[in-house]
Amino acid sequence: MPRRVQPAVMVAGFISALTFGSSVVGCSSTTPSSIQVLKIGAIPDQNPERLNRLYEALSDELLASLDIDVQYVPVSNYAAAVSAFRSGSLDLVWFGGLTGVQARLQTPGATVLAQRDIDAEFTSVFIANGASGLRPITSADQLVQLKGRRMAFGSESSTSGRLMPQFFLGENGITMTDLAGGGPGFSGSHDATIAVVQSGAYEVGALNAQVWQSNVDEGRVDSEKVVVIWRTPPYVDYHWLARPDLDARFGEGFTGRVQNALLSLSPTTERGAVVLELFGAKRFIPAQNKDYSKIEAVGRQLGKIR
Amino acid sequence: MALQRGLKPAPALMALAPGLVLLPLGLGLLRDLHAGGAEQIGRFWLAAFQPSLERSLLTHQLTGLQVTALTALLAWSLSSCIGLVLGLLCSTTIVSTLTGLRWPALMLRRCLSPLRSIHEMVWGLLLLQLFGLNGWVAVLAIVLPYSALLARVLADQLDRHEPLALTALRCAGVPAVANLFTSLIPPVATAIRDHIGHRLDCALRSALLLGIFGLGGLGTELMFSMQSLRFRELWSGLWLMALLLALVNLLIRRLSAGHGLLLLLLALPLVTMQWSRSLHHDLSLPRWVDGAPWASSAQWIEGMSQAWIETPWLELVGETLLITLLASGVAIALPPLLRLIAPAPGPGRIVKAGWLLMRLLPAPLTALLLMLASKPTITVAALALGLHHSGVMGLVLEDGLARVDDREHQAMVALGARPRSAWLFGVLSPASKRYLAYAAYRSDVILRDTAVVGLVGGAGLGWQLMEALSSFHWQQVGWLVLVYAALTLLGELLCERLQEMT
Repeated sequence: MPRRVQPAVMVAGFISALTFGSSVVGCSSTTPSSIQVLKIGAIPDQNPERLNRLYEALSDELLASLDIDVQYVPVSNYAAAVSAFRSGSLDLVWFGGLTGVQARLQTPGATVLAQRDIDAEFTSVFIANGASGLRPITSADQLVQLKGRRMAFGSESSTSGRLMPQFFLGENGITMTDLAGGGPGFSGSHDATIAVVQSGAYEVGALNAQVWQSNVDEGRVDSEKVVVIWRTPPYVDYHWLARPDLDARFGEGFTGRVQNALLSLSPTTERGAVVLELFGAKRFIPAQNKDYSKIEAVGRQLGKIR
Repeated sequence: MALQRGLKPAPALMALAPGLVLLPLGLGLLRDLHAGGAEQIGRFWLAAFQPSLERSLLTHQLTGLQVTALTALLAWSLSSCIGLVLGLLCSTTIVSTLTGLRWPALMLRRCLSPLRSIHEMVWGLLLLQLFGLNGWVAVLAIVLPYSALLARVLADQLDRHEPLALTALRCAGVPAVANLFTSLIPPVATAIRDHIGHRLDCALRSALLLGIFGLGGLGTELMFSMQSLRFRELWSGLWLMALLLALVNLLIRRLSAGHGLLLLLLALPLVTMQWSRSLHHDLSLPRWVDGAPWASSAQWIEGMSQAWIETPWLELVGETLLITLLASGVAIALPPLLRLIAPAPGPGRIVKAGWLLMRLLPAPLTALLLMLASKPTITVAALALGLHHSGVMGLVLEDGLARVDDREHQAMVALGARPRSAWLFGVLSPASKRYLAYAAYRSDVILRDTAVVGLVGGAGLGWQLMEALSSFHWQQVGWLVLVYAALTLLGELLCERLQEMT
C-alpha cells in the first residue's frame, strides 16, 4: 500500500507547485482593469431587495448621465463601509451623518456632494412598549422618566438610531449608566429595534423616523403594542460622499459632474422617479462638509470620533 | 478525597457535568421569558417552509454563495497546509527528537496563541484597514486563526502520549526523521484527517460570518435580510447555505477515505483562482493602502495609557468569562444530555437534525431570536452562543458515537443493564475522552465568539471591541486584543493542567 501512495503524493506536490506558480503569476498579471469603474456603496439600512433595486436603478442613471461604468458594492457593516471608502475600495458612498464624518476625517479631501431634501431636518423617534406604562413626552425634560428603563438602540454607528438619541438623552440629564442593565442594548438595525420593543424585550427604543413611518405605512407595526412617545429636534443626517481622487482618475471636473447628476434627478423622468421613490425623497439638494460640524462635535463628545 | 485515593469520575459523567449551568440559565430564562415576540418567532419558523423564490434575489444569493464557498475553500486549503507545518514545529516530541531541545516548540506554540485568540471577524476588519475590500482579506482573516488552531490540535495529538515504538526505535539506533515517520505520524493521521475535514465545515461558517460583518458573499445578503426582518428572503439564503454544507460534508466523507483529501487540499488554489475570475470577485494580489487610519507612534503611546484607564477591565473580563463558561457548559453538556434522554436511534435522528439546524443559524441570528422572547441579559447571550456551538458539538458527538465499538454496550444489555445505563457506560463513556478533548478547543472558539454576540445586553469584552472598532479607537482595540490573547493563553494553560491531572 505505502508504495502506491508515493506517486500520488508526488503528483499532488507537482500540481500544487504548478498551482501556486500559476496563481501568483495570475495575480500579478491582472492589471487593475477596474480603473474606469465608479464603485458606489451605501451603509446598510434598507432591506436587500430594496437595496438591489435602488442601486441598479441608480447605476443605470449614472451610466446614462456620466457615461462611465458603475458598480454597486454591498457592504453590511457601518465600520467596514468607512474603511472601504478610506482605502479606495469605494468611490462614492451614501453615508449616515456619523459614518460620513468618520470617513471624511480618515480621508482628507473627501467632499460631501448632496443630501436628500429630508436630510437637512432629519429626526429620530422614541418608541415605547404599551405595557411599559410610558406616556408620550411633551417636553424634552420629561425624558428623565426613561431612567431605569430597558432601552434599545439600533446599530452602534447609526446617527438616528444611536448618536443623536444618546445626545438628546444626555442633554436632559440621562447618562447611559442610568438605563436598566447599566447601558442600552443594540438591536443591530432600525427594523430590529421596532421588533424588540414591540415584543417587550425592551421597554423603549430609538430609531430613524423615516424607517418608522414606512413600517407604519406598510402595516408592519402593531399600534396596540408600540407607540411613539417622543420625536427629537431636527438635525442633519445622510449624505453622498466622494473620494478626493475622482477628478484625477476620471478627468477634470468629474466630481462636479457626479454632483450635478445627483442633483438633477427628477421625479418627472421614469428612472429618476424610481430612484427618488426608493430613497424616500422628492429630490437631492446640495450639501457641504461644514453642514456636518454639529454631528462631528456630538460624535467627539460621545467618543464615536477620536 | 476521591481524587486522592486515585479514583476518577467516569468520563461519561465528566461530559455531562458542565450541564449544571443549564440550571441557572433555565431559571434565568424562565424569569425573563415573555410571549411578546411569539408572533415574530412564529413568522421566522413559518418562513422556513416558504422561502422567497424571487428570481433577482436568488441570483444575488447564488453569486454570494459562490463567493462564500470560494473564500472558505481557499482559506481551508491554505490554513491546512500552513497549520500542518506549524503543528509539526510546535510538537515538543518532534522538536526534541530532532534537536534535543524542548523550548523552541513551546515558544512557537505560545507565540501562536494570540493568532488564535482573535476572532476572524476582528482579523477581517483589521486587515480591511490595510488592504481595502479585497477577496484576500476574508481569506487571510480565516487563514490566520485556523492555521494556529490546527497547529495546536496537531501538536497536542503528537505530544499526548509518547509511543513506546518511538523510544524502542530510538534505542535501536533508527535515524530521528525515519523514526518519527514510522512511529509517531501514522497513529495520529486518522484523527488529524478527521479534524481537517471538519475544519472545512467551520471555514464555510466563518466565511458566512465574515460576510455578515461586511466582507461580502452570502453573509452580506443574509445580514441585509436579517436586519430588515425579511425572514422569507433570509431562509432562501439559509437553505442555500444548508445545501452547500451538506454537499461539502458528503464530499469530505467520500474523499477522506482515500488520499483524495490531500489532493483536494493542494489543487484548490488553482480552481478557486479561475472561479473567482468568472465571478468578478477581486482576488488580485492585495496592495497596501496608503496612509494608516491610526495616529502616529507618539500619540499612540499617550493614547494607550488613556485607553487603559478609561476601560472598566474587571467588569468586562468578568462578564466575558461568565458568558464563555455558561455557553461552554451548554455546548458541551447539551448533546450528551439529549442523547441520554433519547438513546434510541429514531429520536437520535431528530436530535441530529436539530444540531444541523443550530449549526446553520449564525450566532447573531440566534441571539436576535432569543432576544425577541426574553429580556436582554447575559443569559440570552450565553444561550445564543451555547446553542450555536452545541450544534457543532452535537455533530462531533454523533461522529464519535458512531465509531464506538458496540460490543461493550451489547454485553451490558445482555447482562441485564437498563438501556440508559448501558448506553451511558457502554457507548458514551468510551466516546467521552475524544469528545472532551475537542470540547477544550470549542471553549477556545466560544471565548472568541463572545465578540459576535456582544450586542446582546451590551456586555463584555466583545461588545467593547465592537464599540472600539466602530469608533476607530485603535488604542482600545489594541488593548482588547491583548486581553483576549492573555485570556486564551490562560485557558490553554488551564486545559493542559487539567489534561495532566486526568
